[in-house]
Amino acid sequence: MPDLVRELEALAEGARQSVAAAGDERALEDLRVRYLGKKGEISAVLRGMGQLAPEERPKVGEVANRVRDEVESLLGKARERLESEKLERELRGAPIDVTLPGRRLLPRGHRHPVTRATEEIVGIFGRLGYEVAAGPEIELDWYNFEALNIPKDHPARDMQDTFYVDEASLAPSTGEGSILLRTHTSPIQIRAMKRAGAPPVRVVAPGRVYRSDYDQTHSPMFHQVEGFCVGPGITFSDLKGTLAAFARAFFGPQTRTRFRPSYFPFVEPGAEADVSCSLCGGSGRRDGVRCGTCKGSGWLEVLGSGMVHPKVLENVGFDPREVTGFAFGMGVERMAMLKYGIGDLRLFYENDLRFLEQF
Amino acid sequence: MRISLSWLSEYVTLPPAEELARRLTAAGLEVEAVERVGAALDGVVTARIVSAEKHPQADKLTVTQVDAGAGPVQVVCGATNWKVGDLVPLATPGASLPNGQRIERTRLRGVESHGMLCSARELGLSEESSGLLLLPAGAAAGVPLAEALGLADTVLEVNVTPNRPDALSHVGVAREVAALLGSPLKLPAPRLVQKQPAASSLLGVRIDAPERCFRYAARVVESVRIGPSPQWLARRLEACGVRSISNVVDATNFVLLEWGHPLHAFDLDKVAGAEIVVRLARPGEKLVTLDGQDRDLSSDDLVIADRDRASALAGVMGGADSEISAGTTRVLLESAWFEPTGIRRTARRHGLHSEASHRFERGVDPGGVTVALDRCAALIGELAGGTVRKGMADAYPRRRRPVDVPLSWSRPGDVLGMPVSRGEVRRTLAAFGFEERKATPRGAVFRVPSWRLDVAREEDLIEEIVRLKGYDAIPETLPGIAGKTPAVPREAQVAERLRLALEGAGFAEAVNFSFVAPADLAALAPAGGATGIALRNPISAELAVMRTSLVPSLLKNAVHNLRQRVEDVRLYELASVYQRQSPGADGDLPAHEELRVAGVMLGRRHAPGWATGGDPVDFFDLKAALEGVLESLGIDGVRFSHASEPWLHPRSAAAISCGSSRGEARLLGSAGEVHPRTAAAFELPRGVLAFELSFAELSSAARLVPGHVEVPRLPAVLRDLAVVVADEVEAVRVLDLVREEALAEEVSLFDVYRGAPIPAGKKNLAMSIRYRAGDRTLTDAEADEAQARIVARLKSAVGAELRV
Repeated sequence: MPDLVRELEALAEGARQSVAAAGDERALEDLRVRYLGKKGEISAVLRGMGQLAPEERPKVGEVANRVRDEVESLLGKARERLESEKLERELRGAPIDVTLPGRRLLPRGHRHPVTRATEEIVGIFGRLGYEVAAGPEIELDWYNFEALNIPKDHPARDMQDTFYVDEASLAPSTGEGSILLRTHTSPIQIRAMKRAGAPPVRVVAPGRVYRSDYDQTHSPMFHQVEGFCVGPGITFSDLKGTLAAFARAFFGPQTRTRFRPSYFPFVEPGAEADVSCSLCGGSGRRDGVRCGTCKGSGWLEVLGSGMVHPKVLENVGFDPREVTGFAFGMGVERMAMLKYGIGDLRLFYENDLRFLEQF
Repeated sequence: MRISLSWLSEYVTLPPAEELARRLTAAGLEVEAVERVGAALDGVVTARIVSAEKHPQADKLTVTQVDAGAGPVQVVCGATNWKVGDLVPLATPGASLPNGQRIERTRLRGVESHGMLCSARELGLSEESSGLLLLPAGAAAGVPLAEALGLADTVLEVNVTPNRPDALSHVGVAREVAALLGSPLKLPAPRLVQKQPAASSLLGVRIDAPERCFRYAARVVESVRIGPSPQWLARRLEACGVRSISNVVDATNFVLLEWGHPLHAFDLDKVAGAEIVVRLARPGEKLVTLDGQDRDLSSDDLVIADRDRASALAGVMGGADSEISAGTTRVLLESAWFEPTGIRRTARRHGLHSEASHRFERGVDPGGVTVALDRCAALIGELAGGTVRKGMADAYPRRRRPVDVPLSWSRPGDVLGMPVSRGEVRRTLAAFGFEERKATPRGAVFRVPSWRLDVAREEDLIEEIVRLKGYDAIPETLPGIAGKTPAVPREAQVAERLRLALEGAGFAEAVNFSFVAPADLAALAPAGGATGIALRNPISAELAVMRTSLVPSLLKNAVHNLRQRVEDVRLYELASVYQRQSPGADGDLPAHEELRVAGVMLGRRHAPGWATGGDPVDFFDLKAALEGVLESLGIDGVRFSHASEPWLHPRSAAAISCGSSRGEARLLGSAGEVHPRTAAAFELPRGVLAFELSFAELSSAARLVPGHVEVPRLPAVLRDLAVVVADEVEAVRVLDLVREEALAEEVSLFDVYRGAPIPAGKKNLAMSIRYRAGDRTLTDAEADEAQARIVARLKSAVGAELRV
């Protein structure tokens, strides 16, 4: 009996030393097999228990279990220590080069600046309670001109060089010169008011427009946003307040607005709305020299506006004695040029990715 | 319109130019530029030559002492056409001459020279000159030359809107200035000396087209001597951008610029029968206009004819035959009022835009017909020594009624949004020349001055009030309309998701012109097809038809980018295409406009880099992008099927459709590799991918509000399956057959393999199938049975062999 106990104690002592000396996972695994395996040393000792007297067996068994537990625990701790040392080594290793470019699978997409500006403008009026409307780009003369108080052979038609559609290329013939590419988004006023049937109507309408003019500062196609508000008791002061609120929202809270009488046949009185120059803050000077954007005036012409002409209201079946309204329109490219600092109109339609990627 | 301030100041007292410009602009006459005439002569003064001696070192130079008002100054001079005592121009040091020469104090051959004595050519005053410009001896020395020559002036460039023809003249602007500043107005009053016989005995006038000419008045001036105009007249015209021609023609132009009323002078001896007939042109009638053009007249053209033939295009341009010439002695002076729209039609028809037509088509002052005529006749009498015959030959068939406009006292305040007193209304309208006729407690009737053809209704009077008051005085308010929160329309929501998804897939948005070259559309459909709606007056052949597809524009954008060495291109556009309206469609819509979204993709699959490959994109990259887009729109049951589309490669063309709620497939559009011939037509390489989808179809198929489905809580069983099928069996056929198995929840294809040991003409499809039952935990045995059912189904339907 004492032999077996001694043997076990010696075995335990040997295990303590060899586990402490083990330098890697593999050595630990060898030790586990050597001591704890089915053919290991503890099992071998226990196999000798058969020769013991029955009353001695529990005692030896107890010692054997203690030794096995100790060896298991030693191995476990040693494994933890080794793992920890391994992690420490890894943590102390050379860092990755975080300056290498990210693994980019796709380029970022981009929204065209005209769309961005349109969305911003329409969004501002949306928050003011305006509904979005649209209308056809190939338009009837009546909507584009006549209904807007621009009769045939009227000099106001010179203000907008018009593209006419070759009516032979259309199926139903409608009479020469009556179908055109809309020259402004104003015909949407007429269509939207007719559709609404009754005031109040508050609409904002973005879209493509066309004028037969092509040079550095004119494009045969460009974009406008039209807006109008018609109802009982709408006044010019409402127009001023609305456009001032819009200008502050679009160009920044310090933006001032100024109104000058002007002429658009479909409004009376009509006004050109200027905003304080977004680049020089209205001072007319930047870095000590004349501001090139506002040409030193401190003001930018950005909006045409006015009170909806009574003839226009009559044309859509509204009674000008009962309702009044205001309307305004702006060029989106111009707004985008001012907002994003774009200097050349032609960039908008080239679709050069080096330009588009900036938005 | 160029307005000379020295001229304008004869009629009204003026504030400084900048202030005047500001006031006019604030009243609606926008001043676009303030130009100082004579500024080019800054630094040049008059100087008297006091003494002279020969230059000690140079034979051809003289050393002069000149007096420019502040004692003698030494100037070296090379000219010889002068004598001591002459008054000549001296360019002082610091001056820049119109020819670019900068004057500095200098030494010429050792002798100091404090400036330069100038010739007319050096001062830009004439093309040629010999020697110094000699000024009138009586004038003072030390005066700025521009002033001494009467050149100093300031010109306002006024942008006159089409509704204000009355402001196309100095008198018109003077009226405006007087009203704005509250200053008195002094209008020119001609002193007309008339002698017998009466003009009406020398000339007959008849209007045959009274609907096109309301009045035709003429005077006769005889014994006229045609010659050059005096300097003051020539300078006035030049300041306004009108070239001086001769005294008589200049007199008509002067009155045009003064009163805004176009006049025409005929050589009376060339008016056959001494008879003027205002009539429409006869069929086939011709006229040579002043510009030398031979013109075929239309029966809508109003002409001024003599007994025999047309001699002027009324209100637009005179005829060459009756033109004032050097030998003219008898002048017929015309002043008329022509109907504006007719003038405009004629001017446009003949491509003639003259100072006269510009004013007549906007409407001249009907009350100014005789005023302008008398002014001009008096001027011709004065300038050309003519004798003005008594009275006028005047045809005035229909008297024009003055316009009266009622105004309610409360209306201005109601429209402007601020109180406007009755007194202010009266003062303003009176200042602008409106005459109050009948006043009641509710309002008054105002008579519109004859020159204000733009005023016809109450709102026009309100604009007059605000023009004087200024918009600055009006407060800022917001409309008091009960707030109805507008819903974001479905189309806008779909568009936003569509854009976000495309942008997420790396596409940048393009915006292209809506018109393209017919050849661009033809390159898309070589076999012919629907042609686009054409423009009657396109900018160019490249921009002549409305596009029926967005694809050509995007292909051009791709070419542009490739040429800029941008090789990875992903562009999309969301815009309308235009087609003829189908018969029976809404007559209010002249064409069929349909929103589409299209895109083009070429270059490398991934942004090239150290960690990503540079493989070129292929069909499946485009398909993945589109699947992502459709998924983000919540569109279910998307199918790509092989299709034929003329602009797509026959081997790599897909129609994209989705199942609708009613079960039938809905075609969304097409995608694939651009047909090699189409690509070549656009000078693109092969392998360019493109798609085009109908926005309306996307919008109606989109499911914007997600519907929640219970997340499965019972475990699934996963099985792989590999089958060998004939090459021509489409993957979707196999996958659909797998999906027919009720327990198969999801199937994903992870490998397609051709080659040994698979027999030629066949391919191996490997897929992973997830089985799940909704109501119980599936056993392995059940999954095996389900897989066996699938194998059997594949075998009988497409002859698939299980690969082991």
